[in-house]
Parts: sequence; structure tokens; C-alpha cells
Amino acid sequence: MPRFRKLHTGQILSNREVAKDHYRMSIAMPAAFREAAPGQFVLVRVKDRAFPFLGRPLGVYAQEKRGGENQIELLYRVAGRGTAVFALLKKGDFVEILGPLGRGFSLVRGRDRIVLIAGGIGIAPLAPLARMLRKKLPSAVTLDLYYGARRADLLTGLGTLRKSCGTVRLATDDGSRGFRGPVTELFDGELKNYPPERTVIYACGPHTMLKRVSEILGCHPIPCQVSVEERMACGVGACLGCAVETKDGGKPYRRVCMEGPVFDINEIVWR
Amino acid sequence: MSKMNPRMEVSIGRLKLRNPVMTASGTFGYGEEYASFVDLNRLGALVVKGISLEPRPGNPPPRIMETEGGMLNAIGLENVGVSAFIRDKLPFLRDYDVPVIVNIFGESLEEYSRVAEILGRARGVHALEVNISCPNVEKGGLVFGCDPDLCCEVTRAVRAVTDLPVIMKLTPNVTDIAELAMCCEAGGADAVSLINTLIGMSVDIERRVPHLQRVTGGLSGPVVRPVALRMVWEVVKKVSIPVIGIGGIVETEDALAFLITGAKAVQVGTANFINPGATMDILEGIETYLIRHGMGDVNELIGSLEV
Repeated sequence: MPRFRKLHTGQILSNREVAKDHYRMSIAMPAAFREAAPGQFVLVRVKDRAFPFLGRPLGVYAQEKRGGENQIELLYRVAGRGTAVFALLKKGDFVEILGPLGRGFSLVRGRDRIVLIAGGIGIAPLAPLARMLRKKLPSAVTLDLYYGARRADLLTGLGTLRKSCGTVRLATDDGSRGFRGPVTELFDGELKNYPPERTVIYACGPHTMLKRVSEILGCHPIPCQVSVEERMACGVGACLGCAVETKDGGKPYRRVCMEGPVFDINEIVWR
Repeated sequence: MSKMNPRMEVSIGRLKLRNPVMTASGTFGYGEEYASFVDLNRLGALVVKGISLEPRPGNPPPRIMETEGGMLNAIGLENVGVSAFIRDKLPFLRDYDVPVIVNIFGESLEEYSRVAEILGRARGVHALEVNISCPNVEKGGLVFGCDPDLCCEVTRAVRAVTDLPVIMKLTPNVTDIAELAMCCEAGGADAVSLINTLIGMSVDIERRVPHLQRVTGGLSGPVVRPVALRMVWEVVKKVSIPVIGIGGIVETEDALAFLITGAKAVQVGTANFINPGATMDILEGIETYLIRHGMGDVNELIGSLEV
């Protein structure tokens, strides 16, 4: 009898607001819940609640799996009615978790300059990537984070990020911390320091930010992996709801849940 | 297996199912997507995503939107086309001992017949479910599904080119669904399945744009269940061929209500999205119910509604 994957039930250990509308949920998971690779996500529902009906895709922000203990952390922003329900959950409440799902970030060999570009809640999948890269790669490889948000108080987890990344450059829309303006412009100003043949970029953030990264790299061909978002239902490639448009004329759509959520930036049509 | 276990076999015309729990087209991919979650051999039947003569790219995103108790979708019948289906998807399913029902659709009578004919010759296809009810493409069959005469014509056209059992999948977006079911029966259908999705719409009030790129989409999930159940009730009274109940079945209780109302089998659709193991949970739940009610055969339950 083969063992089948299943929908897991997790119990909330804590769910606290770390910045305005930004929450960190820590969940005790059964041992059978697999280790999530950086960039992979889970679909989250509230157990025995009719709303939200569909699971919400959230990146796995951290995971501690050893012995019988298996804890995951999710960092999410209240973006609509579904995540607003999540924000009300308390320690001891149960959630249904499907995952880990999707294809995460992949390592690119032979690159010694690694750049992470995060916009807002886009830090969620990049934080575990930074930790993993720092652990795996020799110290000669530099890891630079460009992290932007609307205001200073929305920049979260800086302490941990500084441990993984040699350089942390911040940007805020209102100039309350670091560079005033989009994080992409901050990065653009430093572009000359990153030789394309030695550099790799990982980015996650709002669509407009990723689109801008794609424009910046248009005349500076650094390989770049981006993690994208789309409304999602099944999470396993069956419903075709989470389509993203690609430049492949023969098969114009890819599934964010299966072929993604991480894509090569050049694959995607940035409208 | 102990003697206590009730008999679960049901017949959809000539098609014998080991139990009445099937998947609904478009919610279970080509089967492979759920193979790591569900023992496909335990399904009554597996209905794959709608197949057309040529591959279709589907609609631009956003394609889905959650609503209270369900969701809207406008996928646009994205599929690999019949040739690639037979070449790339069907071999995987042949390794399983589960009846494979292929959902088909076309933009013309000729296209319906061509796809049916090709699939009728393919090894490992056990029945066809003919979609005359997709609301999400210009010519997704809905034009056939709303007109009694065309309903009958499509059924005859498909019937004429294949020996496979033919199931006609009906749309709820009509005034009298029973009339259309009778036309399918007259055309030679082995069964009818209902309902497909209800056409709906949702608006982003901040941006003042529709949530779906195609503006309207098909509503599914628990929210449609009472409508689906009512329509199954209307149809079972009017036709003598088997009726397959579809629409918002999430829990065992939902499936039981359809069976009691007279559906010979049920299809689990949107529920797969929130619980990949939904079909198995429902199957076990039906068995438990039969035992609790002292029934030795699920057929005792089917159509047992007292009004």
C-alpha cells in the first residue's frame, strides 16, 4: 500500500502582528509535513470554517524540523477578507495546510555575487533563501539584500536578515528609512557593481516592482529568478486557475502552483 | 474485506462502477495531478479535463475568484488537445484499474463527432462525457446545451460514431433542464450528468473592474448545491436513463442527498481543491452511513427519497 500525501492539520503556536497589517504565524505541524525548500508555499485554510473557502497561498518563511518537532512560520500581510480572518486566529486554533507546494528557488553554480531584491511582503520567501544560501555557500560569495517597503515600520525581520546577508540596503517610499523611493531604483544605482557573468538575482515583490526589475535587466543580462503571485485554487496543477502569461507562443500560460511560483524573469510577459 | 461492508457497485448504463463516487471534469486535471494524494483505483470513475480536437491555451488571467461558499472560474477550457491527450496523458491512466471518462467538447457538431470518434478508438477510455455546457468560451458548447433540438443532435452525432457509453453534461443556465435531459435521452444518451457551473460575476469595487478578465465565469462550490439538487430532482422524474449528480458536493452528507434524490452516482468537483482527499473521505463516509442504516447495497439508497 503506497503512502499518499494528504491535507495536514496544524495547530497555531502564535500569531502576532509584527508590523501594521503584517503577521507572523507559527504553526506546529505533524511530522509527515515535509521540509519546504526556499520559495515553496503552502495553501492555508482555517479548519472547520466555511470562509475563506479556498486556501490562501503563503510562502514558508521558516521551518524547524528535527526529531518529532516540525514547526513552520508564515509571514503574511492582510490583503483581503481571507487574510483578515487569518489575523484573528489565536494560539491553539487549527489550520489546514496543503504542501509544501510548487518549485522554489534554484541554486545557480559559479556565481559569487548574489543579490536579493524584496518589496514589502515579498521578503517572505527570500528570508529562508538567504539563510539557506549563507549556510551552503562559501563565505567568499557575497549576499546583498535590497529591501524596500512603504514605511520604515514595515521592514520586518532585519535582525535575522543581517545575519545572513553581508549587505542590507533599505528603501522606503516615504524616506523614513534608507533610500527614499522604490527599491528597484536603489538597486539600479548599484548595478555597475554586479558583473553579469558573476551575479545572480532572486526577487519577490509586487508585480510593478518585478516588472521594473525586468526592465532594468533588459540591458544588463543578469540571470534572475522571481517568485510571482496569482489567485489560486487547487495548488497541485489541476484547476489551471493560477495561470501566468509567458513568452512561449506555443503554450502561453504556465501554472504558478506547479511550474512556479519561481520563474526565470525572462519567461514572463510583464504587462 | 469483511462481510459487513455494503455493496457499492452501481451501473451507469453499460458502464459498471465499483462505487458511485467520481471526480468532476476540470477539477481533477488528467488524474496525474492527484495521483500522489488519492489512490485512483478506489474511485468509482475518473473524469478528466475537457478535451477538444485542437489544443486550447485558455483565457488570460485572472481566471478565478473566490465567492461566499464557492468560486468563479473562467479557465476557458485550456487543454492539450485530443492527440496529445492520447499520446501523453492516457498511458499514465492505463496503469490504473479505474474507469476513465473523457469529457469532450467542440465548437461544431463535426468537432464533437471527430473527438468522440478518435477517443472511441483509443485504448483505456471507458466512456465519454459530452460537455454541452461550458459558459467560459465563445463556443464552449453552451449554445448546444440551451437548445433542445441541438441537444438531441449533438447526442445523436456522438452516439453515431462511438460504442462507448455517452454521458451528456447539462448546463443549469436554462429554464427547463428536464426538457433538455429528455432530448439527450431521445438522442440516445446512456446517462446525463448535472449540473455544470452557474454563470456568475464579481466586481472589484476599488478598481471598478471585473475580478475575472473575461468578466463572467462559472460558479461552483457549496453555494450551488441546493440548485443542483433541485435540478437533479426535476430530471430524475422525467428520464429513465441514469442521472449523475454534480454541484457543491464537499461532505459525505452532500453526496448522500444526491443519491437519495435519485442520482446513480455523484461527481466531486471543487471540493478537490480544498481537500485533495475529498473523494476518499466521501466514499468512506457513504459506506459508514450504509452500515449505520443497515443497508447492504448502495442501490437501496439511490432514489429512496420520500416526498
